[in-house]
Amino acid sequence: MNNQLSKKNIFKSPYLLLGPALLFYLMFWFFPVILSLIQSFTATTGEFSFINYQRMFSSPDFPKAFLNTITFAFVSLILQFVIALGLALLVNKNFKGSKLFLFIMLIPMALPQSAIGILWNLGLQQTGWINSFMQKIGLQSLLESMKIINGRIIWKDVSGMKAVFMLILIDTWTVTPSVMIIMLAGLQNFNNEYKEAAQVFGATKFQALKDVVIPIIKPSLITALLLRLISGLQVWLIGVMIFGFERTPFLLERIVYYSNKLRTEESYKVAVSYSVFTLIVVLVSAIIFVKLFKGKDWREE
Amino acid sequence: MSKNIIKPTLLYILISGIVLLVIIPLLYLTTVSFSNSLEINSFPKKIVPSFSETILVKYDDESELYLIQRRTPRGDVEDIYLFSDFEKASKYLKDYLNIFASKEKLETDFSAAKTSSEAIELKYKKKMFNNYIKFFQVFQGADTALYNSVKAAIYTILISAIFGGFVGYALARTKIKGKEAVSMATLVVRMFPIVSISVPMAVLLIKYGMFDTMLGISIIYSIPNIGLTAWITRSIFLSVNKELEEASMVFGATKMQTFFKITFPLVIPAFAASSMYAFITAWNDTAVALLLTDRNQTLALLIYKSIGTSSSMHYAASGAILLILPALVFTFLLKNYINKIWG
Repeated sequence: MNNQLSKKNIFKSPYLLLGPALLFYLMFWFFPVILSLIQSFTATTGEFSFINYQRMFSSPDFPKAFLNTITFAFVSLILQFVIALGLALLVNKNFKGSKLFLFIMLIPMALPQSAIGILWNLGLQQTGWINSFMQKIGLQSLLESMKIINGRIIWKDVSGMKAVFMLILIDTWTVTPSVMIIMLAGLQNFNNEYKEAAQVFGATKFQALKDVVIPIIKPSLITALLLRLISGLQVWLIGVMIFGFERTPFLLERIVYYSNKLRTEESYKVAVSYSVFTLIVVLVSAIIFVKLFKGKDWREE
Repeated sequence: MSKNIIKPTLLYILISGIVLLVIIPLLYLTTVSFSNSLEINSFPKKIVPSFSETILVKYDDESELYLIQRRTPRGDVEDIYLFSDFEKASKYLKDYLNIFASKEKLETDFSAAKTSSEAIELKYKKKMFNNYIKFFQVFQGADTALYNSVKAAIYTILISAIFGGFVGYALARTKIKGKEAVSMATLVVRMFPIVSISVPMAVLLIKYGMFDTMLGISIIYSIPNIGLTAWITRSIFLSVNKELEEASMVFGATKMQTFFKITFPLVIPAFAASSMYAFITAWNDTAVALLLTDRNQTLALLIYKSIGTSSSMHYAASGAILLILPALVFTFLLKNYINKIWG
């Protein structure tokens, strides 16, 4: 019986099942990654050279792009973590309408990036909805009477780090609700008696939070924040949709700029170098993050 | 006693504050998408959409011309259109105010202005979804882009389900070694910025003849999704009762029959979840489509490119709403998998 079955078994070797996916990743993931490595080290003439990296590192936009990307990823991560944790702890009660509340909180994370770009672009114009709203609730006249502003604010008239921080705020609007939802899910599984026990033994509220609550919701948190960090390092679209190219350079923005805007063979090579560099930045950041925050079983979640 | 009231009140104030912070921007976007060409240029903008438009009509005996005026949000009156030809007036109202009124209707409505020395006030219903229709006319190729987005999503769903499903089955049901390595690999693959892969991918796709095709970009979208499908299906295959399968085989079904008649129907929910995720990846992406297509754009890419056209931002807003709706529906259906899809 058993023998007969195994003869009919078309999935004879279990490794065969992994075959198609393995082949797919070899062809469309591993091969391009290797190809980009090779291409980044070859000049347009075809011989081995560091010229592409030289071009990348010596371009004045490179340090800006690198700094902006790192700043964006880490500041937004910390900001979103703190705000989301605060909100989650406050809201962690079964209040009337909590289901509807969570439903609404899900909306921003569902929005496609380019729609978010349109949304905030409409807001940041001088006659956009942000200024309209300030006018309607009287904030405009209040600030004007206090001589803080003079006329409508030209939101897009910022550059450098200020512009990066504006993008961080937009990103925070987009993803904080979802970070909060993940934390709430963790908190809801969490038995409040632990916290109370800690407080009985003399822990302050803050200590109980730090030593009891956070460690318990940590596993779901780490994965979520890791993915957040990785996508934070991949910021570019919102910057381009609000400020255009070059105002707020990011690593990925440079990739798109060199490969899609310039479209020469030389610029393509620089784009490939940026690709390799970004890969390294993402991997190194992810490894550091995991090393810092998680023990040995960080893959389980 | 008073403490018991204060705390919940503060909580509700906080919660309403957060909700408003999320809702107000979206409400404005929706309102802009329903705005006519005059509303889009006025300030301050309305929070909620208006369903009708009130115009003032004056008739000048000397020049024999009608003048259409409109109240601005600040309360002033501005002249918007001077005419004698009702045909053109009807077209003007349609194009700029989203008011659909025939030439004959306008003639009868406006005749009162001839006898009145003051301006007469007329209220017309706006055609609410006019911008959504206009979106497809103003942005050339928007319909093809919509079709392309759906096509790319379907390819991504199929590729991910087929390749990922096999891996999920193998991880759950067979005694293969190196499961750890496989799970590690899927995570590492997800960490690689998809844009970084897209640049060298362009060369490969040109070589394979798949550059500027939906199949080409779907391959990139599938890269993170195959691993994810494997994860979701693995957990479901694990939960399917093995005894049920054995019973089926005892009654003489082959392993193939058992798989397709017993196991597969039970794991369909897992495939539904991973398909929705695949849909969202393909539907929401802009970057890969920008780098790997030329003429065949997707809807998200078209919306991204519409940012430069400041005069038709209300049409772009309608397009953005069209782009948002499916993504919203699928995200809500997926909310149980939120931990996995999120990133």
